[in-house]
Amino acid sequence: MTVLDLRNVSIDFPTSKGVVHAVTDVSLSVGKGRRVGFIGESGSGKTTTALSAMRMLASPGFVAGGEILLNSLEKPNLLDLSDDDMRQVRLSRISYIPQGAMNSLNPVMRIAHQIWDGIVAHEGALPQGDLQSRSDAALAGVGLDPEVVGDLYPHELSGGMKQRVCIAIGVCLNPDLIIADEPTSALDVITQRHVMQTLRDVQSEIGAGLILIGHDMGLMAQSVDEIAVLKKGQLVEFGPVRQIIERPEHPYTKELISSVPLVGGKSFLEPAGEETATGFRSENGEPLLELRQVSKHYGAVTALHPMNFTLDGEVPKIISIVGQSGSGKSTLGSLMLGFNAPSTGEVRFKGRDINRQSGAEALSFRKEVQAVFQDPYACFNPFYRVNHALKYPFERFGLSEGPDHTQTAMVEACRAVGLAPETVLGRYPHQLSGGQRQRLIVARALMLSPKLLIADEPVSMVDASLRATILKNIHDLKDRHGISILYITHDLATAFHVSDYVMVLYKGHIVEAGPPKDVIGDPEHAYTQLLIASIPWPDLDRDWGSSKDARQGLEALDRLDGHETIMRGNIPGFELVQG
Amino acid sequence: MGRIPLSYLTNRVFTLFLTVFVAATLIWIIPRLSPIDPIDVMLGRMAAGGGTIENSEAILQQLRESFGLDQPLIVQYFLYIVNSFTLDFGLSTASFPTPVSSMIGYALPWTLGLMFISLIITFVIGNLLGALMVWEHTPRLWKVAIPAAMVFTSIPPILSGLLLMYVFSTQLRWLPLSGPYGLNVEPGWTFAFINSVLYHGFLPAMSIVVVTFGFWALGMRGLMITVQGEDYTTLAKAKGLKPRYILYRYMIRNAILPQITAFALKIGLLVAGQVLVERIFAYPGMGKLLYDAILTQDYPVIQGVSFVIILMTAIAVFLVDLIYPLIDPRIRHGG
Repeated sequence: MTVLDLRNVSIDFPTSKGVVHAVTDVSLSVGKGRRVGFIGESGSGKTTTALSAMRMLASPGFVAGGEILLNSLEKPNLLDLSDDDMRQVRLSRISYIPQGAMNSLNPVMRIAHQIWDGIVAHEGALPQGDLQSRSDAALAGVGLDPEVVGDLYPHELSGGMKQRVCIAIGVCLNPDLIIADEPTSALDVITQRHVMQTLRDVQSEIGAGLILIGHDMGLMAQSVDEIAVLKKGQLVEFGPVRQIIERPEHPYTKELISSVPLVGGKSFLEPAGEETATGFRSENGEPLLELRQVSKHYGAVTALHPMNFTLDGEVPKIISIVGQSGSGKSTLGSLMLGFNAPSTGEVRFKGRDINRQSGAEALSFRKEVQAVFQDPYACFNPFYRVNHALKYPFERFGLSEGPDHTQTAMVEACRAVGLAPETVLGRYPHQLSGGQRQRLIVARALMLSPKLLIADEPVSMVDASLRATILKNIHDLKDRHGISILYITHDLATAFHVSDYVMVLYKGHIVEAGPPKDVIGDPEHAYTQLLIASIPWPDLDRDWGSSKDARQGLEALDRLDGHETIMRGNIPGFELVQG
Repeated sequence: MGRIPLSYLTNRVFTLFLTVFVAATLIWIIPRLSPIDPIDVMLGRMAAGGGTIENSEAILQQLRESFGLDQPLIVQYFLYIVNSFTLDFGLSTASFPTPVSSMIGYALPWTLGLMFISLIITFVIGNLLGALMVWEHTPRLWKVAIPAAMVFTSIPPILSGLLLMYVFSTQLRWLPLSGPYGLNVEPGWTFAFINSVLYHGFLPAMSIVVVTFGFWALGMRGLMITVQGEDYTTLAKAKGLKPRYILYRYMIRNAILPQITAFALKIGLLVAGQVLVERIFAYPGMGKLLYDAILTQDYPVIQGVSFVIILMTAIAVFLVDLIYPLIDPRIRHGG
């Protein structure tokens, strides 16, 4: 029996430049208790298709054709319902778990109240005691302590807890269908596994259908029964998960599967070319970057425990720093960039403490150490054309020999990161895709011919299919331009492929360090092992563990005290010293 | 939330006093940079009234003493600060020898009444209209009418006052033309008097409301657009909540927060009154007092009024600091 049928659904967005066909002729069904994954890159229409079943399309979008049938209704066609009848359908029959777990809850209302108002909107005013027991049951169902969490405000919860509250809200009225829109995209792998398995458990318990929207083929493989692949608003492939993963027919599906970087899998990097550029030549025997007893406290909280390492930079290296959110990896990044002063110790660049430099030294440090950040949307000033971001530092650092030279340099930098200069230069940031913007940020850094690049989660906000390309660009910087790179990430698979050395950070300690094939390929520390086990693989025969495993894994972590670093071997040019 | 830590409270009270002290000092210094001697001005006024004056030197000396101007500057300053904090602003030079504090004491209730009521009306109407400009369920007619009503915001209050006077007093004869209350009632806590005050206050309040609601409406509109795009608003809709409930509990409730800070700042400023509005409606408030004092170079009154304005602003900000955690749980009183 099917819960939801989409029949030849088309969705149009009339704009001043004509009608945009966001979704064209999509037909599929979601069975009772079945999980269906909608996969595709951003703009493929996967969220739009799902939201049409909620009748919550963003203005001015509308369903231009077809039928959306919710079979539990007397008159199943949702498009025929009045606005108030549709409002009644939301949450009680079809519930929605939003993408941005961070901001999905009303910041000025207690958690329990946000469950109650949903119940009251559908069942009328209930006695306080009934509401209390309903919200307690809902919170307990997703593994949260109702006594504590119900009285808290959203800002007092972690991201994973907020997302589980959203799941609790979504299932509190036992809907026929749950639509989960990338419910774990903002979470790290360990939390992701926990949240995803909670969702799977409550969904099978109430027997609802589930539509899971996402772009990660690995997560899909581990979570759903059927997969619908969407591209440019069209359903290009739909079938059981095993068939899609193991015998994909459409080239786009194949591309999606192959773009997932795997630990130990085939490398997405091309073999290193002949042109290995020379790195940094030290003039006084001092290494490029050195951390001496560097630590950072925020009040009583220690974000980073004392750390010592030396990167000589002579042969360029990529050093990965991996860990989940809150592990201190971004703190480490900002210390190395000199944005934050360490609480103890020194960050030394070419033998000078970067927090005690003269003006001229600071300027040259800024030129030689470049950064790529996580959010390619927030990195550009929206009022300037992108040329400004490329041109301004280049001219200010005195590298330009005139307008023509600047132009040539910009064109070359764009080509170096695989962008066609004529399609990106002279445009405004909002006219470019996230992937294009992130590559421009890499191009901008490249124009200044730095010696060191600090890349903080450079690909976590771009589509999976583009991640490989951008990482390839960054990897090329090492080989072709002799730049040493510190790659900060939570993604072990990419760290496995691009880096020469990996440091695993947990609660401000380095718990395991060494060449990636040892640390990630064959982890020894319990934390590293949990990280690896939490990665969803696009391989159905590989077990992702149960929700019990996920919870136990998290609890086991709390008991760990990782003061000793497990050293897994050294590489020339980089030396980590036990803190 | 919970109880306010004592350290936070003492910190805020200290800041409150410091602000008022610094401002009071500036108020004292600035007139003393002016080359005009208020005693000369008084004398000139007397001379204009009564021809020649005998013993003018002695009178001048006497006056200087009564204003404390014969003391060294540092003593004058010290006395001024002590007196200011006990709300003693000395004697008016223009209406000598009326104490400034009694003049302010008379004018302040009128202004507070008029301005506070019009501020609250403006705040409610402005924010509601601003919210309705954004809300998706607002009737279409309203969506057209509200921006059109913003035209009033660009009219200076004096013109809107005159316009309202013309329509409601002169033509329709619904409301009185000017004055704080009717000539036929005795001031006091009687029904007739309060009724008369409300009746007379309606027009000046209206003229302030029509020109200032746009400030709140436009601010609220911007805030509402942000809130409308927030994920919690989307989730509220997905929860099947009633549109009106979403508007009040999710959208306005969050969008209003910065407006409340602005409200506190306005409370301080409203003591200064809408000078011109009070003027054209012959309303005996602080605005009119200040206006007259400037015209007659009545420094003690100017200083006194300025001090009261600063005191009100500082107290309003202090109160908002204290109540903010009650309205926004993300804000906490730091130690």
